[in-house]
Amino acid sequence: MSDHLSGTRAVADPAIDLTDLYAFPSPSRPGRLVLVLNAFPSARPGALFSDAASYRFRVRPVSVPMGNSGALFDVSTDEFALTCTFSAPAAPDEDGRSAQRGTCVLPSGASVSFLVNDEQGGEGDDVRCYAGLRLDPFFMDVAKEVETRAGGRLAFVPQGTNLLEGNDVLTIVAELDAARVFGPAAGSVFAVAAETVTLGPYPVRLERLGRPEVKNILMSENGVDSANKIVDLRDLYNEEDPFRLGPTYLDAYRSRLNANLGFFDGLDGKLDWTTQPDGTHPLTELFLADFLVVDAAKPYAEDSFFEIERALLEGREYTSCGGRSLNDDVIDTLYTLIVNAGHGPRVSDGVDGTVPALRDFPYLAPANPYPPEQAATIPKAPANT
Amino acid sequence: MSGVTAAAPAGGGLACGPLTTAGVIAMGNLDARIEGLAAQAVPGKLTAYGWGELVELTALRGHVGGRIDEAERAAALADMFVDRAPRDPRPLLARAQVAAQFHRFASALEDLEAAAVLGLDRRTVDEERAAVCQAVGRYDEALALCQRALSRRRDFATLAAMARCHAENGGAAHEADEAAEAETWFLAARRAYHGVSPFPLAILEFQCGRMWLVRGGPARARIWLESAVARLPSYVPALGHLAEADAVEGRRAAAVERLRRLVLVSDDPVYATGLARLLGGCGASAEAWFWRAHAAARYEELMARHPEAYVDHAAEFWLTVGGDPQRALRLSLQNLAHRPTPRARALVDRARCRVGQRQ
Repeated sequence: MSDHLSGTRAVADPAIDLTDLYAFPSPSRPGRLVLVLNAFPSARPGALFSDAASYRFRVRPVSVPMGNSGALFDVSTDEFALTCTFSAPAAPDEDGRSAQRGTCVLPSGASVSFLVNDEQGGEGDDVRCYAGLRLDPFFMDVAKEVETRAGGRLAFVPQGTNLLEGNDVLTIVAELDAARVFGPAAGSVFAVAAETVTLGPYPVRLERLGRPEVKNILMSENGVDSANKIVDLRDLYNEEDPFRLGPTYLDAYRSRLNANLGFFDGLDGKLDWTTQPDGTHPLTELFLADFLVVDAAKPYAEDSFFEIERALLEGREYTSCGGRSLNDDVIDTLYTLIVNAGHGPRVSDGVDGTVPALRDFPYLAPANPYPPEQAATIPKAPANT
Repeated sequence: MSGVTAAAPAGGGLACGPLTTAGVIAMGNLDARIEGLAAQAVPGKLTAYGWGELVELTALRGHVGGRIDEAERAAALADMFVDRAPRDPRPLLARAQVAAQFHRFASALEDLEAAAVLGLDRRTVDEERAAVCQAVGRYDEALALCQRALSRRRDFATLAAMARCHAENGGAAHEADEAAEAETWFLAARRAYHGVSPFPLAILEFQCGRMWLVRGGPARARIWLESAVARLPSYVPALGHLAEADAVEGRRAAAVERLRRLVLVSDDPVYATGLARLLGGCGASAEAWFWRAHAAARYEELMARHPEAYVDHAAEFWLTVGGDPQRALRLSLQNLAHRPTPRARALVDRARCRVGQRQ
């Protein structure tokens, strides 16, 4: 389920559980790059950001080598961070809702302040920020995906069920003029990752996020990784720096990805990827470089997730903005890539979207105004008296 | 300033504790998360993982809010979860945890064994078994399980389990040493905490505070309990124990004030019992009588529904403000048979003294 509930720490504290990361050129304001970080799966009205963590976009210039099939991105060590923190809430309003203020510190050191759930957000230094409750834009037939991995065969149906339909999340949106905020020397192609870290003098990383489903699908335990069947790698992976994996568990991640990618390749009964004799899968290192790659100079495209990576794999020039838009059907793209390498028909989970995203700031559709009522089937405790 | 740090230490040890999310945010988010999960349970969209989380969070909200009705709801959810996925070990684990909360230890162990047969990993089974062994006074067995877990993984969970094991080891020959040892483990667990949710840490601090209160260290208890309450200002059991520390230290008015607030938000009669006892001791007999009657009625209900879970508190009630030492003796013996712990033996001894039976 994208990055929702990706490990025990995330489950224990939904406010710091990153669910999705998006990066795309604004569809309505050419030249502006939009970064979106979602947290708190199945959030409801009243959900707030933690005031003990910072929520951070990390952006690095990247170059895409061309004409060399199988090369990796060349990621700069220069980095631009947009770091959001939130206050403890003020006294509740008439509706009993607590107001929370947010601050986004920009790469320049300047900051933008905003009120959580204020649709207008805050603006300053060529950056506009919003934070608050919105509809979760992610969509997927989770049950059939789980069944696929459990049964070792593609279990998707033409009309799938979006498990996340009508669910809300807490989102942070930053819309910025990339050339001004990052400087002209940074170019237009960026590697983007997100993380939550503890506040205080010794920050500890709580969650990290690049591409969707790296932890929950690609690193899932499917009984095929002979090196490690016991340790849930997701909490360990969440502690890693998004741009520099530490050496301690790197082989464990590699082993899991190599095993799983071979497993996924065989789901349609044939192998489309050629692994090396030592079992190394051609996609492993690319997935371990786990960040979105977006070209802010290209026009907005609805379905360009993994486009730049595919071009890199094929040694050709990319044609779209890459990154990930809010309406992008990433499950279909990902499954098609890992099952048939794009050589066969598109693999679909039968869920093609949810309420479409907006074309303007703050881009995510408003929160579901009619959240489902609590079930009559959920038992009530016996009366006390 | 954002977040909540630990209370200032009086005796050292709690300075610069981990920063955690403000309690008001965490409690609001807990409500929001439970609502979100419950809404998914409606159309049957909730995954097994989600069901387990719903049970766990409901039980957590019950503990923090001092709400027995919420704990009962968690138990009912766990039963539903088992019915929905009878071949899955996770529902059995969830039900075992809730059963242990209600002191149905045999049921808890049965569910754990059944979960193990269905594939629940041995490490999880052992960790849960350790908690049950500890609750029934099998400290050596609990300690061995905790040590084994710690040798495999040294993190917040295993260190906290070790701390609780030492804290509850009331039969140790050198109680003061055991408490100091326990506190060392509590501090180690606290240092190993790498998160911002206040719940695990507040619960840990509450447990250490409770240990010191039981062991006659109200000042030390206060440091830990105040830290827990700084993280979660509405943490009812921690506030209740602070009231107890107040009373022990002679701050009767402060204790009464705290308990008056708690009896309005909690359906656990332990606070009405404490309030009746304090009010009775300072001449407010009408109000004391009211809360005594309130607690008596509530213990009758709870003893009918969950006799194992409330037999010790009910015995304490009848032994003190309830004014029925014979009944207290009967209940305390029942409690001793169920949980042969040093604390249960002490309760029996006190009841015997009250009815005139010598050891």
